[in-house]
Amino acid sequence: MAGTLLEADHINYSYSRKGPKVLDDMCMKIEEGKKTAIMGCNGAGKSTLFSVLNALYKPDKGQVLFRGKPLTYRHKDIIKMRSEVSILFQNPNDMMFKPYVEQDVAYGPENMRLPKEEVQQRVQEALFAVGMEDYAKSPIMKLSYGQRKRVTLAGVLAMRPSVIIMDEPTAGLDPQMAYEVMEIAEQMHSSGVTVIMSSHDTDLTYSWADELRVLHGGKCMYSGEPEPFYSDYESVQKAGLLLPTVFMMNRTLAGLGREELTPYPRAQSQLSLKTAQHKDVNLGALHVIKAERETDIKAIIEDYDLGGMATGVYGMSARFAVRNTAMPVDYLYNGPENCTMKCLSGQDAVLICDPMMLDKAISSAMFINEHGFGKINIDVV
Amino acid sequence: MSEIFRLEDVTFAHNNSTRNVLSNMSLSIEEGSRNAILGANGAGKTTFFYTLTGVYKPQSGTVYSRGEPVEYTKDGLRQLRSDVAVILQNPDEQIFCSLVEEDVAFGPLNLGLDREEVFERVAKALRDVRMTPFARRPLQQLSGGQRKRVAIAGALAMNPKIMIMDEPTAGLDPQASMEVMELAEKLHLQGVTVLISTHDIDIVYKWADTTNIIYDGKIEFSGSAEDFYNNAENVYRCGLLTPSVFNMNRDISALDGLSPAPYPRNCCEFTAKFGGSKKSGKIVCVAVEEESAVGRYEEVMKELNGTLTGVYGSDSRFALREKHIDFQFDAIDACFTEAVEGKDSVLFYDSIYTPTIKEQYEKLKSIGFDADLEMI
Repeated sequence: MAGTLLEADHINYSYSRKGPKVLDDMCMKIEEGKKTAIMGCNGAGKSTLFSVLNALYKPDKGQVLFRGKPLTYRHKDIIKMRSEVSILFQNPNDMMFKPYVEQDVAYGPENMRLPKEEVQQRVQEALFAVGMEDYAKSPIMKLSYGQRKRVTLAGVLAMRPSVIIMDEPTAGLDPQMAYEVMEIAEQMHSSGVTVIMSSHDTDLTYSWADELRVLHGGKCMYSGEPEPFYSDYESVQKAGLLLPTVFMMNRTLAGLGREELTPYPRAQSQLSLKTAQHKDVNLGALHVIKAERETDIKAIIEDYDLGGMATGVYGMSARFAVRNTAMPVDYLYNGPENCTMKCLSGQDAVLICDPMMLDKAISSAMFINEHGFGKINIDVV
Repeated sequence: MSEIFRLEDVTFAHNNSTRNVLSNMSLSIEEGSRNAILGANGAGKTTFFYTLTGVYKPQSGTVYSRGEPVEYTKDGLRQLRSDVAVILQNPDEQIFCSLVEEDVAFGPLNLGLDREEVFERVAKALRDVRMTPFARRPLQQLSGGQRKRVAIAGALAMNPKIMIMDEPTAGLDPQASMEVMELAEKLHLQGVTVLISTHDIDIVYKWADTTNIIYDGKIEFSGSAEDFYNNAENVYRCGLLTPSVFNMNRDISALDGLSPAPYPRNCCEFTAKFGGSKKSGKIVCVAVEEESAVGRYEEVMKELNGTLTGVYGSDSRFALREKHIDFQFDAIDACFTEAVEGKDSVLFYDSIYTPTIKEQYEKLKSIGFDADLEMI
């Protein structure tokens, strides 16, 4: 791996001189290119840590290292660092700067002194990515909470950062919108961005993260893969957390001798097939169409005779292609998992997928095939 | 059971707006029921709540409270609001005073209760949400999660007949969310009608007996959750997803040629259905009062030393905070899950929750698992 990108090195921070230490000898490393989930109970110090990592707050003690170099807090360096490390705050109202949607999204790129056309193009793409392109000229005042959250996300995307820190990105969003945000996070990861996310949703982060950092009382109490942490129930409880549903069920079923503890399923479809006893039933095939923006999906569906199946979409270029061909789609959200579940029910499914995100798109089907829990024919065209 | 609320063809639009937020909405709510109110952002959930509490007067249609049409007069509304308490999604919208205990007392004082009664209610409500040590603290020094608990305490202190909770777990950490669900269950056991709107479909799937779906200002569905979730297309159209336990049960049952019913809704029911459990572990359930909890714990654990322990209910949890407890949260599900796995456990719980434990036992029995339960 490429090594440590961002590091908190023995950091103390309090909001007032006599106040309690919100961060107390905090040490944490973020690896480049890994999907890192930051968890912890209310008041554990998550949001404060983010503000310190982004140089909004200067630590009372200790230092922040970015690409191995300590932050200097000189104006010039801070500007440069923030163009690389972006935060998406929990409350969108904290980061709205302009009255109209497209102005607000353009704010960051304009500050980076990019040429006008470049700014415009970035704004358009970012608004499309969050499904808000029809609102470009709308006043922000008129938007709902969920819509504002998407606009702020677009603002962060338009900066094209190399690290993105998302503080509770799905809080207050309905379940489908939450999956949209997770898809954007996955897209950023696929394009090489280091994504850091805090969330109280243990199920959602468990299905997403490579790495887990658990904060408690201003310290980092765990750093590593999720499973060793969740296997230590006492620590989970101390941290104010609960077990992810899939993890807990897998462990109990393993305790009953129904199945082996490992491999750990991370998604519902993975646990379902691991648990089912009849592994020889006919599963549907997963047809994956790699779609660039210009791909004519309707023609492919005709050529390969894929009409009439349940269809899902996943990733930016695939969404562009679907829009360009006015293709009707059944699963606009959580496409890979929905298509895999369709295969479990014995029916074929078509997933129109951004080529960049192919690995993630077929990960559940691969898990099932590789471990002999069933056979889903994966056919990539 | 009788009906506590009914909406009949209710239509509502905000001032000067041509778009109806609620359009011909009709719904009946049973007294004492556990209701989930689900819908995508913008479906009309919050407006629906404001209409139930008389804050919004519908342009057409009628709201009935206990069979009587709501009167939009000062007296009529006071009557309605002494029955109904609301916990708003954003706690800052319902904080009125600067100190925690003053804020919790605000509602009861407005009801015209005498000071002693108010004092008692405030103390009890703060303890239920574990905020007693913060009683004299200024609200602005509290975190978002703590302010949310104060708002919940304020609603509890009203002793309402109907409790409306709009996204009560949003922004709370997982354990605090479990505490909120425990409180909702307690209110239910006290005979209160509880309505919870939330985006956390998994958490309410375990709890609600009636699932109400709002889509585009209408009631799209009202009934047993599975009847709605079995229609995948409809779920999708309403901007929702199916609970993870529901999905896994559907898929495994289909693969193994089993009937999807009875539907497991939580971990112990799911593992009981699919785990092939041979013999149940024993669950010793000890109902405790706050004063005697420590004594009971020591007495019971002397004999059962080393057995896994859980607590359920704010009184037991508070009283046993210094004792070793393995499952601090969601302990009914946790202890029954241990039983499914063949392991013994002891559950200390507030005595009001006896029906909840029995309900869990019966549900497991309907799935074919006979838990070895001893209630003492």
